[in-house]
Amino acid sequence: MIGNLHARLARISLEFGLSVAVAVAALAIGFIFIAASGASFGEAAEAFVEGGFGTRRNFAGTLSKMVPLVLVALGWIVVFRASRFHVGFQGQILIGGLLVAIVALEVSLPTVVHLPLAILAGVVGGVLWAGIVAWLWAARGVNEILSTLLLNLVAIQVISWVVRGPLQQPETPLPQTSPLQESSRWPDLLVDTSLKLDLLLIPFVVIAIGLLLARTVFGFRVRLVGDNSNAARFAGVSPERTGVYAILLSGALAGLAGSSLLLAGDTPGMTDGFDGGYGFQGIAVALLARNSPWGVIPAALLFATLRQAGGVMEATVGVSSAVVDVTQGIVIVLVLAATSILYFRARATEAPRAPIGRTEQAEAT
Amino acid sequence: MIPFADIGVGPFDTSWLTSTLILTTPILLPAVGELISERAGVLNVGLEGMMLAGAFFSFWAAWATGSLLLGVLAGVAAGLAFGVIMSLLAIEAQADQIVSGVGINIVAIGLTTFLFDEIFGARGLVELDRIGLIEIPGLSSIPELGELLFDHDAVLYFAFLSVPLAAFLLYRTKWGLSIRAAGEFPAAADTAGVSVRRVRWMSVLTASAMAALAGVFLALVTLGIFRQEMTAGRGFLALVAVIFGRWHPVGVLGACLILGGADALQLRLAAREAVSPEVWFVIAALAAGFAVHLVLRRQRERKVAFALSAAVALSGIVLLASSPDIKLPDQLWRALPFLLALIVLAGAVARARMPSDLTLPYRRGEG
Repeated sequence: MIGNLHARLARISLEFGLSVAVAVAALAIGFIFIAASGASFGEAAEAFVEGGFGTRRNFAGTLSKMVPLVLVALGWIVVFRASRFHVGFQGQILIGGLLVAIVALEVSLPTVVHLPLAILAGVVGGVLWAGIVAWLWAARGVNEILSTLLLNLVAIQVISWVVRGPLQQPETPLPQTSPLQESSRWPDLLVDTSLKLDLLLIPFVVIAIGLLLARTVFGFRVRLVGDNSNAARFAGVSPERTGVYAILLSGALAGLAGSSLLLAGDTPGMTDGFDGGYGFQGIAVALLARNSPWGVIPAALLFATLRQAGGVMEATVGVSSAVVDVTQGIVIVLVLAATSILYFRARATEAPRAPIGRTEQAEAT
Repeated sequence: MIPFADIGVGPFDTSWLTSTLILTTPILLPAVGELISERAGVLNVGLEGMMLAGAFFSFWAAWATGSLLLGVLAGVAAGLAFGVIMSLLAIEAQADQIVSGVGINIVAIGLTTFLFDEIFGARGLVELDRIGLIEIPGLSSIPELGELLFDHDAVLYFAFLSVPLAAFLLYRTKWGLSIRAAGEFPAAADTAGVSVRRVRWMSVLTASAMAALAGVFLALVTLGIFRQEMTAGRGFLALVAVIFGRWHPVGVLGACLILGGADALQLRLAAREAVSPEVWFVIAALAAGFAVHLVLRRQRERKVAFALSAAVALSGIVLLASSPDIKLPDQLWRALPFLLALIVLAGAVARARMPSDLTLPYRRGEG
C-alpha cells in the first residue's frame, strides 16, 4: 500500500516535472523566435511580464482568457478519456456562439433570466454541432477527426454568412452583429477591466468534470471504453453510447466556451472569427496538463498569459503575436515526445521485474 | 465530348473543366502521397500544415533569390522537415499519429504566419512571377481539348502522372509490397526481413514532400502570392479523398476530381448574381441518379434515403422549370466542397476497408 503510494507520488512528480520542462522549453523556443525577429531580448521579456501580470488591467485580461481555455481543455479531456478525441471545438464554439447571439439580440428579458438563457443556448448549439460528429461516428463509422476538421470549416462559413447577412448590424459595412443586449452579458467581477463573473465557471466546471470522470459510473464507463472497447462491450457497456455521450458533453463545454467569449468578451457584438483560435489552444492546454482536469488550471494560466502578453508585445515591441501559435504547437509536439519517454521508461523498469517475481513464486512453493 | 460546352457561359463550360484540373492538383498531390503513407500504416493529419510550409518557404526563397527553381526546392525541403518531425513522433516515439498531425498543423500555421508578418508584413502585397506553362507540342493544338488538357505547368502534369506512378509503385514493385505489408501486417513484414521503420519513414517523407509540392503549386503556380492559411482546408480534403477513393490510386484520382470540381464550381457560383438553371439541373440529375442507385442496390435505409433524394430531384426539376432568380449566399458555395466531403464520408466509409494497422505504431516483439 505504501509502496503504491510512493510509486504514485513518483509518477505524479515525474509527469509534473515533464510538463514544466516542456513549458520551459517551449517558452525558450518562443523567445528564440522573438530574438530572431530583431526585438531586444530584455525589452521583449519585460513587455511579456508587464503584458501578462504588470497592471491590474493586463492581469484581468490574462484571467479572463483562462475561461475558454479551461472549458475547451476539459472538453478534450472528456473525449480523450473515451478515446474519441475530436478537434471540433472551433466549430462547436462558433455554432454555440451563433445561438447565443440570437438569444442575446432577439430576446429582451431581465438579466436573471436572459444570461442563463443565452448560456444555455450556447450549450445547446455546441451539443447540436457535436451531435453531427457523434451521429457520423456512431451510425456511419466516420472518423471523428476528419468530420470535425470539415465541420470546423463549414462553421466558419456559417458565421461568415451570418455576420454579413441576417444578423449584420444595420447601416454598417462591418462584418459584425449589433451589440448584444446588456441584460444578457456577464456582470463585471473587477470594474474597469475585462474580467467578468464567468471566471467563477472555472472552479465549478473543473470540479464537476473532475468528479464526473473519477467518481461516477459514467466516468468509469468512459475510461473502460477508452481503454478497451471490446472489454467494455463484453462487460455490457456500449462503446457507441458512451462515445456519443462523451462527444456531446465535450460539445456542451465548447458551446459554453463560445457563450463566454461573447457574453464576457471585449467586443460588443459577434464578429467574424470570434472563436480566436481557442478551439485548438484548449487542446494544447489539455495535453500540457497531461489530460488531468486539475492540471488544466495551471496549464491554462500559462497559455492565457502567452495570449495576453503576446498581444501586448505585438503592440509595444512589434513582434507578431503569431509567435504564441508557434509556441502552442511546439508544446503539443514536445508533450507527445515526452509522453513516449515516460512510456519507454515504464517499460524499461518493468522488464527486469518479471524474472524476480518468478523466483519469489518458486521460493513460496 | 465536353458536357454543357454548348450552353455557353454557364457554370459548367470548358473553363470550368480547366479550373477543375487546376483545383484538383493541390488536392491530388497530397492525396497520392497520403495514400502511400496510409498504405504503410501512418495517418498524416499534418498534410495541411506541410502544404502551408511548402507554400510559404517556396514563396520566401523564390522572392529572396529570384529563382523559382530554388523556391520549389526550398518548399519541398520545408515539407520534408515537417515530415521528419512527423516520422520522429509517429514512428520513433510511437506517439498518437492524429495528435501529432494536429500539432504539426498548428506549428506550421503559427510559423508561416509569424514569418510572413515579420518578413513581408511591412511590404504590402508582394507578387512574384509565376511558373510558366508548358504547351505540349502537337497535343495542345487539338481544338477545345488541347487547351484544356495540354497547356499547363509542370507541377500539374506531375500531379496527374503521380497516379499511375503510385499504382505501379504499390502493385508492381517490391517496395510497394513492403509498403502494403507494413500497413496491413507489420509483424509479418518484419519477419520477412522488411524494415517496417524504414518503409514507414520513406512513406511519410513521400507524403510530406508531395503535400509541400501542392503548397508550392498554390503559391508559385496559381497565385504568385502568399496569404496566411492560403491552403484553406485542402489538406483535409486530401485526407477525405484517400478514404473516398478507398485507398486505391484510381479511386483517389476520382475522388480528387469530384472535390476539385466542386471547388471550381463554388468559385464560379460565388461570383455570380443568381444561381443558373444548370446547377438545379445537375443537382436534380445527381439526386435522381442516387435514387435509382438505391432502388437497384436495396439498402437497409433506402426508404428514407430514397424519399429524400426523390424530393431533392423533384424540387430541382421544379426550380429548373420556374428558373427563379435565387441568390444564395457565397458562403454556402464556399462550404460546398466540405459539405460534399462530409456527405461522401457518411456514405462511403462504412463499406470501405482501411489498411489494418493504420494509426497503430509498430513495436518490435509485440506483434
